[in-house]
Amino acid sequence: MRRLAIVVAVTLGLGCSAAFAATLSVGTWHLWAGSQTLRKAQCTVTGATDTYADESHPTTNNSASTTLAEQPDANKRQWIYLQFDLTACNIPTSGGADSATLSLFESSAPKNASRTITLAPVQSTWPANLPFATALALTYGTSTASFATGTTNSVAIPITVTADVDSFIKSPSTAFGWRISDGSAPVTGDQAIFNSSEAAANKPQLVINYEK
Amino acid sequence: MKLLANILGLALAVAATFVACGAAASLALGSQSLSAGSAAVTACGGLNSLTATRNVSNAGNVTQVNVGGIPTACSGETLSVTLVGAANASLGSGTATLGSCGATCSATFSSFGTVSAANVTGYSFGLAGS
Repeated sequence: MRRLAIVVAVTLGLGCSAAFAATLSVGTWHLWAGSQTLRKAQCTVTGATDTYADESHPTTNNSASTTLAEQPDANKRQWIYLQFDLTACNIPTSGGADSATLSLFESSAPKNASRTITLAPVQSTWPANLPFATALALTYGTSTASFATGTTNSVAIPITVTADVDSFIKSPSTAFGWRISDGSAPVTGDQAIFNSSEAAANKPQLVINYEK
Repeated sequence: MKLLANILGLALAVAATFVACGAAASLALGSQSLSAGSAAVTACGGLNSLTATRNVSNAGNVTQVNVGGIPTACSGETLSVTLVGAANASLGSGTATLGSCGATCSATFSSFGTVSAANVTGYSFGLAGS
């Protein structure tokens, strides 16, 4: 009889442990799974609002010029300004650029050596006539794009501008385009000239592959 | 002999009782057999507005994914996001614990390696917590 009591007690003890394990709460878990599908498309914008600021002619309005000039020479600096209107692309601010390529047609390249030209996002509006003093007072974002001019005339130069265009898409109110300039030390024959949006052909063009 | 029979009978009855307990205990926490019991598995809120956007480098690679539209009730839960490519292939994924949420809740993921944004066709999300 004593043995029976021991057997029953031990068995009850083990059973209670099992019952306790079975009561571990699982009733408060949250689980959810979902997905979001992206649509891909392409948009091409040809022509832009463009001009160049010229330090040697500081108040000349170059917005109607068929060319855009840039050079780093002291007291003769020339900076190009270029702004594309992306509204026709109808890309929502929740979208983004998968890739974006700016194409500039270089009608006259630097004569002696290739130059590295940088694109800096402009952070405020700028007037079409753009006096050089106004250009000097503008603020610019961090440059993420640059290109080499080469030394060959009449060539189209593709420039990858994906990061900047992605920002322009997400924040259209701050899409003021770029300043295109040569920040390196001047040398003889370092000027580069490109077609503007007023040129008869080979205007600046922006091709955007985007998602939304 | 009669005593032995009684002991055996009692032992069998006790064993049968605890086999049932054992069976209940074996509804393992990881077995997803919870629905057979009283557990209810629900979402932490209305998640239909949950969306992701991403930033890219100038080379076109994903540098960051931002997930917004998360209900504040999901604060403290674990969110995972997967970059989905062609044929539903996983191109990269990340997991984050949602911090305290204000009026809205969002999460940021990075370190996806080199994933071209052009190859990302969608996102899949998972949200779990208690």
